[in-house]
Formats: sequence, C-alpha cells, structure tokens
Amino acid sequence: MGDEIVSSVLVLISLGVAVYLVAVLEAWSVGGRFRLAGPAYAALSLIGRESILPRKSDRLFFEAGPVLLLMAALLSVAVIPLSPDLIIVDLATGALFLNAALAYVLVALIMAGWGPNGAYGMVAGWRFLGQFIAYAMLIVMPITAVAMRAESLATTAIVTSQEALWNIVYQPLGFVLFVVAGMGLTFLPPFDLPIAKGDLAGGVEAEYSGARLAVLRLGRMVLIVAVAGATVTFYLGGWLGPVFPPWVWNAGKILAVSAAMLLSGRYMPRVREARYLAICWKLGVPLALVNIFLVGVIALVVPI
Amino acid sequence: MMTAQMIFLAIFGAAAVWFGVTVFRTHSMVRSALALLFSQTSVGAMFLTMQAEFLGVLQMMMMATEMSVMAIFMVMFMMDPGGMGEMNMTHQKRLSLWAGAIGLLVALAVVYFVDWGPEAVTVPGAAQQVRYLGFELLGRSMFIFESAGLTILTAMIAATAVAITPVRKAGEE
Repeated sequence: MGDEIVSSVLVLISLGVAVYLVAVLEAWSVGGRFRLAGPAYAALSLIGRESILPRKSDRLFFEAGPVLLLMAALLSVAVIPLSPDLIIVDLATGALFLNAALAYVLVALIMAGWGPNGAYGMVAGWRFLGQFIAYAMLIVMPITAVAMRAESLATTAIVTSQEALWNIVYQPLGFVLFVVAGMGLTFLPPFDLPIAKGDLAGGVEAEYSGARLAVLRLGRMVLIVAVAGATVTFYLGGWLGPVFPPWVWNAGKILAVSAAMLLSGRYMPRVREARYLAICWKLGVPLALVNIFLVGVIALVVPI
Repeated sequence: MMTAQMIFLAIFGAAAVWFGVTVFRTHSMVRSALALLFSQTSVGAMFLTMQAEFLGVLQMMMMATEMSVMAIFMVMFMMDPGGMGEMNMTHQKRLSLWAGAIGLLVALAVVYFVDWGPEAVTVPGAAQQVRYLGFELLGRSMFIFESAGLTILTAMIAATAVAITPVRKAGEE
C-alpha cells in the first residue's frame, strides 16, 4: 500500500513537471520566444485577475466544465505507466479506461461552451461535438489493434508486448491514425476548432477569465500530456530502451511526442469541420479497419 | 450486511435515480440530455462497485458519447440551434404515468420471482471477466448482439432519413 502511494505521488510530480514543460513549449511554438518562467507568470496573472461570471449563465455547467476537463485528463493519466512500477492504477481494462476518461473531455467542453450563455462558446462547444464524431472511431479502432497484439487491455502488458518490435513499426497505419485523432482530441492546430483564435474569439475560452480560465488551460495541458503518454504507451514502447532508466526513456518520449504534436500543426491551415469529418469517415475508418485486419493476420501468422 | 461496497452502491444508485428525475424536471434539452448522461454514468459506477470492471468502464465510455450525440440530434431537429430555448420535457402525461407504473411493477416482479441461482461467492479477476465476456459475445450471444446492433443502425438511418427535408438541387422541379 505504501509503495502505491509513493509511486502515485511520483507520477503526479512528474506529471506536473511535464505539464509545465509542455506549457513552455506551447508558448514557444505560438509566440516564438523561449521563456522558462512564462507559464508561471501567466498562471499568476490569471489567478490574480478577476474571474467574471457572465450574466444569465448556467452556473452549474459554467463551474463544472473546466473542472471536469481537468478531471477527465487526470483520470486518463492514472493508467499511463511511467515505468513498470510507476503507475497510479494498473487496471486490467486500462486501454478502455483511458478511452472512457477521454470521452468526458467532450462532455466538459459542451458544458463549458453551453454554460456561459454566449454565442461564441456555444458554437465552439457544438463544433467540438462534430469534431468528436470525426475522431472518436480513430481513437478506438487503432487501440483495438494494439490490444489485439498485446492480448490484453492492461497498459503495462501493452508496453511489454512491444519488447521485440515497437508498434510504430508493427502497425504504422494505426500510429498515424491515432496521432491525427489524438490531435483532434486535444484540439491542437490544425484541428483547434473549439478554441479557434481569430475565428470564434477564443471559442470555449471566450467567456472564461481569471482562475476559471487557468483551470481550463491547465486541463488542456494535462490532456496534451495524457494523449502524448497514450501515444508513447501504445506505439513507442513506453519505458523500453537501453542504458538509461525506464522513466527517463518514457519522459523523453512523451516530451518529444508533445513537441511534435504542438509544432506539426502550426504550418497547416485550420481544417474545416466538414472536411475533417469527411477525411476521418471516408478515409480514416476504412484504413483503421484495414489496420485491424493486417494486425490480426500478422499476429496469427508471425507472432512477434 | 452493510459494507462499504453496499453504501457506495446505494449512493450511486440514488445518484442515478436523481439524475433520471432531473431529466424531466428541467426545461432545457441540453440540461436534460446531460442529466441522462450522468444518470448512466452513475449506473456505470454501480457496475464498478459490483466489481464488474469491464462493464462499468464500457458503460461510462459509451454513455458519455451516445448521450452527447443524442443531444446534438435533439438540438438539430428541434428547430432550436444551440438548444438555448425552453421546452417542456414531459408529454403524454397520462400514458407515461401508466407506462412507468406498469414498468416498475414488471421490474419488481422480475426481481422477486425470478430464480437468480446461487449467490456468487468469489468474483473472477477483471482480466478473466473480459475473457469470459469475449467468449460469450463471440459465441452463444453473437446472433443476439449482431441483430440488435444492425436493428439499431437501421433505426438510426431510417429516423434521420424521415426527419430531414429533402433538398432539391437547382434545375430540378
């Protein structure tokens, strides 16, 4: 019992560090200036500022939205292993639990968008629902193929199943689909429809200010780390790697994936809702089915 | 015997019922849909307290997405873009009351008169449960689940097709 508490605390501390570094990276990728103290100043200024309550808002949704986003992201982190022992709960249904937790990101954004009774937020919240319909299948179906190879839904078993060959080589198709869907899930550019700067005046964030906005942004940062962690666990061999201790490998991979996700979208125009839906359903879903079929055949013919 | 498990089961059960009542007491489609969502999430939590890990997690995942999709369908087809307007969530009150009462009686009758078999003393581990469930779904129950899935899909497509107004292209009559 004591060991579990220690490992949970260690995971949470490393999550805090990772979230801070990702915030630095995001500020760098957006503003072009590398400032290590930037997020700390931003957080302080947000907490110090007045948190305005919109008139005629749905108070319950308005308050619960950001907190639910943070909770959903934290719950999904709970099943991501940093090393064989550093995991908060090693659930037998870990990969499914991750999915279930991330499904509440959608609920949180609908609540946060609809709650303040403002046009921008509401449009952005419903937009994210449309975006969800596009990416949802491409989160679940690649994970199915990953679980097929590992013959388990436990995240630790998924990592150990990649000892001989990482899944990025074993099922590259699934990796690409998962990353594209993951960027939709974390609403990073070019799929940043729900916060669309310069289009919806901040979208879901438009009506939030002060400490509530700080929670909303923190939730999103944790979400980015969680999705990067999931990508590393499912496709990049998690803690596996020579020489260095397992957690160093895992932390390095997670930060690298986060940086790649933050940077890659910056050079693309924002994808329209209808186009994203069309790409995901007409191209993505058939490819995901092909991926499941291929992995099934490979797993039966040449078990590695 | 009142164990912690029983207490949590009762709390989540009460939450499920309370959210279920909220569905009809609110005057907004969005609040109603989200209340239904959290009611179903509470049922998922009840599965978890009853040590049915896979079913609980699956219930929570599916209901979060399904109820949100239901919300957008409601908002789209109710001529209320955004779901900001007020509307009464109850209709056909007399019929609903009768249907609800009869449903409750049937459920109680099932609870009391069905032979549930011997009480399970040990619960298989979560991984073992997933395995059993897989064999069940792809074996004995496969036909039931496949036909139910196909029926639901057909119903969804048919309902959408009936609800949308056909759009005529330019140049047609």
